[in-house]
Amino acid sequence: MNYNFYQPINGEITDVIIESPTIKSFVVKTEKPFKFETGQFVELTLPGQGEAPFTPSSSPKETEQMEITIMEAGRITALLHKCGKGQAVGIRGPFGNGYPIDEFAGKEVYIVGGGVGLAPIRSLFLTLVERIKDFKRIVCRYGAKSPDDFIYKKSLFGQWQNIDGVEMKLTVDAANGDWSGNVGVVTTILDPKDVDISNAVAVVCGPPIMMKYATFKLLDFGFPGSSIYLSMEKNMSCGVGKCGHCMIGKYYVCKDGPVFTYDRIKGYSKIWD
Amino acid sequence: METVFISKLKPLMDAVAKKMELYVPKKVDEHFLFSKYDPESTPDVKINSIRACTPVKEFLFPIRELAATYPVATELKDIKPFAVFGLKDCDLKSIEILDKVFEEEDFKDPLYMARREKMFIISSDCTDVGDSCFCCLFEGKVYSESGFDLNISEVKDGFIVDCGSGKGHSFVEQHDELFADVPASLLAEREENRKKLQQQLQQKNARYDNTADMREAVVNSEDSPVYDEQAQACIECQACTRVCPTCHCFYLYDAKQEDYFAKLKIWDSCMRFSYAAVAGGANPNKILGDRMKHRLMHKFVHFLDRYGINMCVGCGRCVDADAGGMDLREILKRIRQENKNKSKAAS
Repeated sequence: MNYNFYQPINGEITDVIIESPTIKSFVVKTEKPFKFETGQFVELTLPGQGEAPFTPSSSPKETEQMEITIMEAGRITALLHKCGKGQAVGIRGPFGNGYPIDEFAGKEVYIVGGGVGLAPIRSLFLTLVERIKDFKRIVCRYGAKSPDDFIYKKSLFGQWQNIDGVEMKLTVDAANGDWSGNVGVVTTILDPKDVDISNAVAVVCGPPIMMKYATFKLLDFGFPGSSIYLSMEKNMSCGVGKCGHCMIGKYYVCKDGPVFTYDRIKGYSKIWD
Repeated sequence: METVFISKLKPLMDAVAKKMELYVPKKVDEHFLFSKYDPESTPDVKINSIRACTPVKEFLFPIRELAATYPVATELKDIKPFAVFGLKDCDLKSIEILDKVFEEEDFKDPLYMARREKMFIISSDCTDVGDSCFCCLFEGKVYSESGFDLNISEVKDGFIVDCGSGKGHSFVEQHDELFADVPASLLAEREENRKKLQQQLQQKNARYDNTADMREAVVNSEDSPVYDEQAQACIECQACTRVCPTCHCFYLYDAKQEDYFAKLKIWDSCMRFSYAAVAGGANPNKILGDRMKHRLMHKFVHFLDRYGINMCVGCGRCVDADAGGMDLREILKRIRQENKNKSKAAS
């Protein structure tokens, strides 16, 4: 019998963390240890209701439980947002190709993230930090709609700022309260002077519109398309390159991605739609 | 390839039906549909002149099937051996295409594989050319040379049976008493029949000529008005994708049953508005014409680039089924003409 990749493994929500007015992180404990590579995604099943694809936001080192950060955006995510501790869930995967972090070794990693796009980036960030000496520098540029909309606030405004070898800058589209940082979309804090483009890779994850303009700006800076890693979002359903919903040209985002270099997909239309 | 002769089909069908469930074509109005063969109530079996209305994918990838259960995983349904008689060359080519997707080395679909391994394929030569048949534009033939377990060609006074696989060969060996040697004259007659019918098919499609530049033409149709124009006639019934033997999109549907949860694998259609939509509201193909373009790009460009073959076998089922009167042959012809005009203008 061939392995049934349609069968979820059983899991349970063991904690819910409110990240922002629209985003929550769910800690999911699975029946068996669950291994994945950073950037790969899983299909999270709400039994009897449906499933949706998410990239875990926790480090792959943790195999006993994973964290999945979810923005309320559609039917399944709205139902998930109503779930609390003890809710039974199913997990299929992991699927696709994550970030090729071995290829990042010896380089500067320039990470551009926006909104809930920080979820996969958090997993990547934690993975990079675990072996930070392998990389020249990690430069992070994160944006959110407002200071309240940042996720992982505690780490973002605290511990992550103080890691040797990490340089971080944040921005908001609109300031409120006592925000004293930059105001403007994330592309306004991208600066070629902050990164040695000749020895760097860029990682971009966020809403499609942000990814589009951030990518174009990086290309303008002189980043080659082969060094810009994009975590693409399409309607991934089966996870194994068969059901057809997530195609970008000849690629299935679920199987050939979700992480693509810009060069691989730039020839196809509607990649940002 | 071992080739034998049998004078009547019924004894052969009865022998197959003794070993496994057998589906045979039955004429309903102007179409052929498959139905389960019952030796008792079937006085004789006839060859379907052209491909059946039913796409062969229904046998390998049912419209709706149970893919998983929760919280307790159940063993997948045990599939018993079954046979299908009356498949044509276009049907066999469509199986080849489905195999590429569902038998892909790293993720072999367990549901598809279970059926595929148990299927006994008895193909037959076409004896007529359907109004919508255009397999010859994609190197299809009115007869098959591979992809079957047994193939049957009707000749004067009987039938020639070819064994195309180990399974087919051992079936003939086990039923040695049913078969005789084939006289050379009958083989010559078959060659003649095949040649004549192939010519007839080509004549019928002469106005579409060959399609060697198809990939390029479809790629260059990005800004063609043909899709939006065709969309005006489309009633979005999705029949084209349902009857297409190579369309294989599906979605996974979670349902609550009495005391468990089920995950079902159900046919989907890229003609559906929200087919590629994501939760945030993004949808690359909101416009119907764009969805049609995506379908053609998938069939003639992306699938070819990924698997090395076109995802169209020229069976013409979509032409028959289209309530809006669209004809894929005409659309492709127009796209190719536009492409020719473009390259002329450029040079």
